[in-house]
Amino acid sequence: MRPCGVYDRSYRKDMAIVRTWQHWAILSVTLALLSCLPIFASHYLVSFVNGVLITVIVVLGLQIVSGYCGQLSFGQPAFMAVGAYTSAVLTIHLDWSFWLALPLSGLAAGIVGLVGGAPSLRIKGFYLAMSTIAIFYVIMWLITHLGFTGGASGLSPPPPSIGDFSFDSDERMYYVIMPVALALTIFARNLVRSRVGRAFVAIRDNDLAAEVMGVDLYYYKLIAFFISCFYAGVAGSLLAHWYTQVNPEQYTLFHAIWYMGMVIIGGMGSIPGVYFGVIFVRILDELVLFVSPLVSETFPWMGMAPAAVLGLMAFGLVLMLFLLYESRGLAHRWEIFKASYRLYPFRH
Amino acid sequence: MDTILQISVNGLLTGMLYSLVGASIVLVYKATRVVSMAHGQLLALGALSFWVFVAVMEIPPLGSFLLTMVVAGSMGFLVERVTIRPLIGQPLFTAFLVTFALFIFLDGAFQLYVRGRTLTYPPFLPEGAIPLGPLAITKSQVISFFIGFLLFLILAVIFKYTKIGLGMRATAQDHRLAQNAGVRVRKIFSFIWILSAMVASIAGIAWAIVMDIHYGLASTVIKGLIVALFGGLESLGGALLAGILLGLFETMSAGYLDPVLGGGVKDMAAYVLLLFILLVRPYGLFGMRRIERI
Repeated sequence: MRPCGVYDRSYRKDMAIVRTWQHWAILSVTLALLSCLPIFASHYLVSFVNGVLITVIVVLGLQIVSGYCGQLSFGQPAFMAVGAYTSAVLTIHLDWSFWLALPLSGLAAGIVGLVGGAPSLRIKGFYLAMSTIAIFYVIMWLITHLGFTGGASGLSPPPPSIGDFSFDSDERMYYVIMPVALALTIFARNLVRSRVGRAFVAIRDNDLAAEVMGVDLYYYKLIAFFISCFYAGVAGSLLAHWYTQVNPEQYTLFHAIWYMGMVIIGGMGSIPGVYFGVIFVRILDELVLFVSPLVSETFPWMGMAPAAVLGLMAFGLVLMLFLLYESRGLAHRWEIFKASYRLYPFRH
Repeated sequence: MDTILQISVNGLLTGMLYSLVGASIVLVYKATRVVSMAHGQLLALGALSFWVFVAVMEIPPLGSFLLTMVVAGSMGFLVERVTIRPLIGQPLFTAFLVTFALFIFLDGAFQLYVRGRTLTYPPFLPEGAIPLGPLAITKSQVISFFIGFLLFLILAVIFKYTKIGLGMRATAQDHRLAQNAGVRVRKIFSFIWILSAMVASIAGIAWAIVMDIHYGLASTVIKGLIVALFGGLESLGGALLAGILLGLFETMSAGYLDPVLGGGVKDMAAYVLLLFILLVRPYGLFGMRRIERI
């Protein structure tokens, strides 16, 4: 819904994402704050935001393939791993620059993703979800058994650098991660309202009807997988060079469920929903970390470190509650809130 | 020649355990059209509660088994009542995701108790090996095999000859028509979840005899899902056959390819098989081919 008194007098204006001067004000203040975050924020907050932004990139990819195109994928961590290992191998063994390895790792993951998405041409829904799980295991097995990947101990790629300046701290790495996340968000936001995005939505809502109306299912499904895996690959590369460490332990099936949970909690089929979901789940984790010492004091039988276990339970419970009672996610609440304050004196 | 015999016997015996896990998933799918991940945890918690009864409370095995069945049944009932019933009429995929969430939640509960330990049952089955020529088979393996087989027979009898089994078959075909014909569909749902939770627990106990209770026990559900898909999601007999085939395939590929590829083939073989099935015959060996309409 448009804000009160805002009329679209030209096609350009109708198509604009940022519409009113208030939007522009909020946007520029947010961007300004984001770009100088490491100056005033604590070290802890900066590394938290780094983690959030990398997760946002992965989940954006998942949102495109699952939330918009309706093809459930549990293979996302494996594609992340492909990206991470590509970029690690390129920078370590071939001595390439990180800035070249970053897009290439996205491309590599995307191409592997085309293979991973191929079963979607034949099967869908639950069957497809199972095939992506199988592909996940196959990829992870290959990665651990190939010679140049360092096996279970993994690789240690160097932090990115320009000349002599090395992005070796969380604060410095923030300036690598943030612009990439921003660019990919803008791309996703625009993609989903383009011809391609509309085709995705048509496939999600009813694939047979979409096909009958002339949407080329194979083409668009593969595009969706390619884009989503590209995102995952870029995120994997960023993660690898931020941690300066890649190993198979970082990419488990549990992460896949986690990302899917973020999409569901944020809201299927919404780009802002990705941010809501990721931040919500991340904050939930931090809360559990904060609460768990208290819990282990009160219930000594739980042992010293119940954080991991409590985190699991909290996440499972929240995910279940969202699926049962708020299956459109936080983004839906946000839309309701926006609509109600735009209509303010009147009831929504 | 001896190795191939040994490998196939081992495959057969593990395969039966896969069949059991697959059967619990098939049961639920048959009646409710929900594919359940939560059975992994029902399986693990069943094995765990049997351990608690046998090892901690020191109740004789048969008594603990019955108590475990009660615990498993009530868990199945609760799961159905709290998570699946509110979703009747919702997209089936939501139900699948809910069972996923449930899997994670129950995993937390499971880890809370296990805390990284490995729990072993006190020996309650006859120990020792059965001398059978050159083969090495333990008695407990054979007993679990026959218990599994018996269970399949019982399930077949329930489905074929009892009234509630008739209701289940009717519900499996069409919920609404079954309801019109006077079948109490909700009761069937409850019953089927209880039954499948019990089957899952038995599978869990059988697994835990072989490989103890540890943090990864619940992930056997993925093998169960593979079995269910391979055999066809609607077919109990399919699950039996597919489980045994999967067991044979896994041990064979591990036995013959491990020396060539350097280990770890066993974990991969099942997933390669799954991909192959999904691409070639998505509805499984005995499943129903679906016709889609707009």
